[in-house]
Amino acid sequence: MSASLIIARREIFSFFVSPIAYVVLTAWLLWSGGVFWVLMSFVAGQGVAQSASQNPISLIFGGTTLFYIPLLVFVPIMTMRLVAEERRTGTLELLLTAPVRDAEVVAGKYLAALVFWLAMWVPTLMYVWLVSRYGDVDPGAVGASYLGIFGIGVYYMAVGVLMSSLSRNQIVAAVLTFLTLGGLFMLGVLEFVFQDSEYKDLFSYASIWGHMEAFSKGLVDTRFLVFDVSIAAIALFFAVRAVASRRGAQ
Amino acid sequence: MIHVERLTKRYGDRIAVRDLSFSVKKGEVVGFLGPNGAGKSTTLRMLTGFLEPSAGSIRIGDVDALARPIEARRQIGYMPEAVPLYPEMRIDEYLAYRARLKGVPRRDVKRKVDAALEKARVTDVRTRIIGQLSKGYKQRVGLADALVADPPLLVLDEPTAGLDPNQIRQVRDLVRSLAGEHTVLLSTHILPEVEAACGRVLILHKGELKLEGDTSTIRLTMGGNTALLLSLVGRGERAAFEAALAGTPGVRRVTDAHDLDGGLVRLRIEADGRPEIAEEVFRAVAAAGLVLRELRSEAISLEDVFTQITTHDADEGTPESEPPAPAEAAGATDEDRGAAGPGGAS
Repeated sequence: MSASLIIARREIFSFFVSPIAYVVLTAWLLWSGGVFWVLMSFVAGQGVAQSASQNPISLIFGGTTLFYIPLLVFVPIMTMRLVAEERRTGTLELLLTAPVRDAEVVAGKYLAALVFWLAMWVPTLMYVWLVSRYGDVDPGAVGASYLGIFGIGVYYMAVGVLMSSLSRNQIVAAVLTFLTLGGLFMLGVLEFVFQDSEYKDLFSYASIWGHMEAFSKGLVDTRFLVFDVSIAAIALFFAVRAVASRRGAQ
Repeated sequence: MIHVERLTKRYGDRIAVRDLSFSVKKGEVVGFLGPNGAGKSTTLRMLTGFLEPSAGSIRIGDVDALARPIEARRQIGYMPEAVPLYPEMRIDEYLAYRARLKGVPRRDVKRKVDAALEKARVTDVRTRIIGQLSKGYKQRVGLADALVADPPLLVLDEPTAGLDPNQIRQVRDLVRSLAGEHTVLLSTHILPEVEAACGRVLILHKGELKLEGDTSTIRLTMGGNTALLLSLVGRGERAAFEAALAGTPGVRRVTDAHDLDGGLVRLRIEADGRPEIAEEVFRAVAAAGLVLRELRSEAISLEDVFTQITTHDADEGTPESEPPAPAEAAGATDEDRGAAGPGGAS
């Protein structure tokens, strides 16, 4: 475990001395700030909020997918270099010949990715603070929203780590991550397309929209958390296999 | 320290290393020699646990490296061929990270990093960013990385590749200075490097071990029936020299005869091992009325051995296999010949 922490620490260091961190975080804050402004203008025009679903916090985190669509782009950019870069430059050879298990290497990378995720979301607490100055904020709903967001991070970042360990080319890793996350996102959207389908439940289960709609109302739906953790476990399992397979092949 | 048995690595149909067996004793400095593509790096990567062998066994110290890879790796300091490093880190940050990753306890990290910086002679640039270092410094940082956890075994893949002659000498001195405390296995295709730094040599060609032994004994045995080479410079007709020497007892063959400026001739004489051969040659030359300007014996260099093994094999080699690169090895030798030590003249 301690080896993972050492690896994660180095990875976080490298991320925050690279321009990628600042470009992505700046773009993300511009985007989320814009979304916040649009939603707040909408709420202000509506007058008094009528129901829980129109509570400003619920609206921010659950009422729209505007918040989540850019993640399909930013997550691949943040995770693409994790393993692929080490493979391309050859430093993976140093990592894999150190007295460290393959699983510890992957765990270290994943821990770092989760820290990147938190770095994206911590600044959004200022929106909550802003709302709380002009209206009521339900702390339960805020807590549940951030738990839900963390759940999505657990799942998205694991997919990013897997794709980065499959390729030595960062662009390929980013595209694979985008396709996978985008595909799963679309699967969630199908819930609204095939209302009568027998797979409707499956679609809604995979939907981060539905996921966040529940959490933003303060409803901690453990089925979604199980989904996040399951996807993460599968992705990380294959990431370890991908790193280990490096030992057998050229 | 290292015990390898019947090690084999296959990539699909291609066999990179075939049935390789050898041992390295504690405290030895062993050179792994072969042309490019001989399987040196593949073998070292299997030893260090980066690649899994297709067959065979590896023991590092008392540990079965394939069954207990983590314990085996703990005993190895490895410097890969290309010396990959993280360009965004500072040297001392990087070494501290590597030390901790290799399990050096937190309280010892600073001391070990200082010691490694000192040994690899990079203390003066310790706060520089790795990406801005010259090739020579990067190489030394790689060496410091291999040394940082103070492992009993050092595995260095082409430690002097791409360095200038001064840097090569520095790295070679460094390797020699490590010999007492560490067991060292280094690979190279540069011959003087092995002769200068290693007590023992393993010659690898096309994935097979062709020859193994002490640097000095290899030179002798591979001379085959030629125990001695003499180099002669004299004044007179070339044909007269050849005629005079042909009848001399102990002389097997006269080669490389050519005229020099000012009426001088140079010849090489392959002779058997009799100790008085130089006197015999002197007498024969004098008896023929010729004048001798220079006569000296040459040791057979590893280069001769190497060329003999690798080119001989190329003749009967299969067409699809990678040709050996003796020309390249020899080319790399040229710039370094001045530092080659005994037997360097040819």
